[in-house]
Amino acid sequence: MPHNNRKGTPLPRIFMISSGEEQGEGRGELIEHLTLLPSHIPCIVQIREKHLHTKHLLTLAQRARGIRLPEGSLLLCNERADVALAAGLDGVHLPENAVPPDKLRAFAPDLIFGCSIHSPEALRIAEQAGADYLLFGPVFDTPSKRKYGPPQGLKKLGELCRASSLPIYALGGVTPQNAALCMDEGAYGTAGLSIFRDTSRMRETLEQLYSILNR
Amino acid sequence: MIPYSPFLCVITDEAYCPVTLAEQALKGGAAMIQLRHKTASGSQLFAWAVAIGKLCSEYHALFIINDRVDIALASKADGVHLGQDDLPAAAARKLLGNSRIIGVSASSLEEAVQAEKDGADYIGFGHIYPTVSKLKEHAPLGPDNLQKTVESLSLPVVAIGGITIENAPILISRGAAGVAVISAVSRAEVPSKAASELLSALQKSLP
Repeated sequence: MPHNNRKGTPLPRIFMISSGEEQGEGRGELIEHLTLLPSHIPCIVQIREKHLHTKHLLTLAQRARGIRLPEGSLLLCNERADVALAAGLDGVHLPENAVPPDKLRAFAPDLIFGCSIHSPEALRIAEQAGADYLLFGPVFDTPSKRKYGPPQGLKKLGELCRASSLPIYALGGVTPQNAALCMDEGAYGTAGLSIFRDTSRMRETLEQLYSILNR
Repeated sequence: MIPYSPFLCVITDEAYCPVTLAEQALKGGAAMIQLRHKTASGSQLFAWAVAIGKLCSEYHALFIINDRVDIALASKADGVHLGQDDLPAAAARKLLGNSRIIGVSASSLEEAVQAEKDGADYIGFGHIYPTVSKLKEHAPLGPDNLQKTVESLSLPVVAIGGITIENAPILISRGAAGVAVISAVSRAEVPSKAASELLSALQKSLP
């Protein structure tokens, strides 16, 4: 059953994370990627550009907000509720070491807050602090996360999904080939960064994921 | 909202615990503490902000946070200090309302005038003297540029950059509402003593 977000529409099953290589002032691939989203596939899009100065992050967020996204999509930024409010975004994705969502919700009651989690303890803390969704990973091997050690695996994903009533997105090496395995473990949806970067295959990847995740 | 001049603002130093430093600065009479830490996590910043905010209200001092309007709102700080690469003052004002303080860094008269237009409550003007606390792209502005900016604005101007007990008094006599320091307090042998000596030097130098 789909989880509804605070706007009363279902949370999208596909979670797309920006490259981390945006150049500021909206130069980079994010804006192009947003315009390429198929209109029938709602996505969560997280602007995660931690290297940008706040001023440039705001400009990028405002430009992204100006693009018409598929109906039901949600546009989030990483960590900064101030930027999300200033740019009129839908919410904020919080890394595990961020300000807890309840402290942010106090001044941003209409935003959606999701939390990255890497352990059962983090899951409980995020639940208690009122997270709207959780992001768990890396489930599978992925080049960008190898420096943090081996992937967490499907078994752990399943344990966390069974321990929580919140929607959990599986992140890390998830492709159309293994996405169904995450869903079998109870994931709500899947998240990715690198699989969406090849614009020539983006549409196909999204179509495949969409049909698997909404079965 | 801004303290009666001349006042001392102490900015935290990334090399030291900001809460410890804030308490020492407050003991020495600082009227404003700015939490500035570019590499700490959000949860760490928030925890520091709550602790420093509590200390500041005990000492009847103002507590502002560099760049992070989100942390300022979450921790109910008195305001924020924004650099030229941070959220624009006008955007921050919409989020913070009129009762909170917004300070804006300016390193030229033009930036200061713009910050005043954008709704800043005070200007942090500098760097006035050469400074080791931050790498700087431009030459020190000096007391003459400070005075010119003070005379062109109606907002309080806080002088920052390379300020010591020796060179601080002249800045007050040139019209600065206060001075902001990092290393002059944080790197002193006894930070609270350095703060109180700096403050008495400021108070003796009213024009």
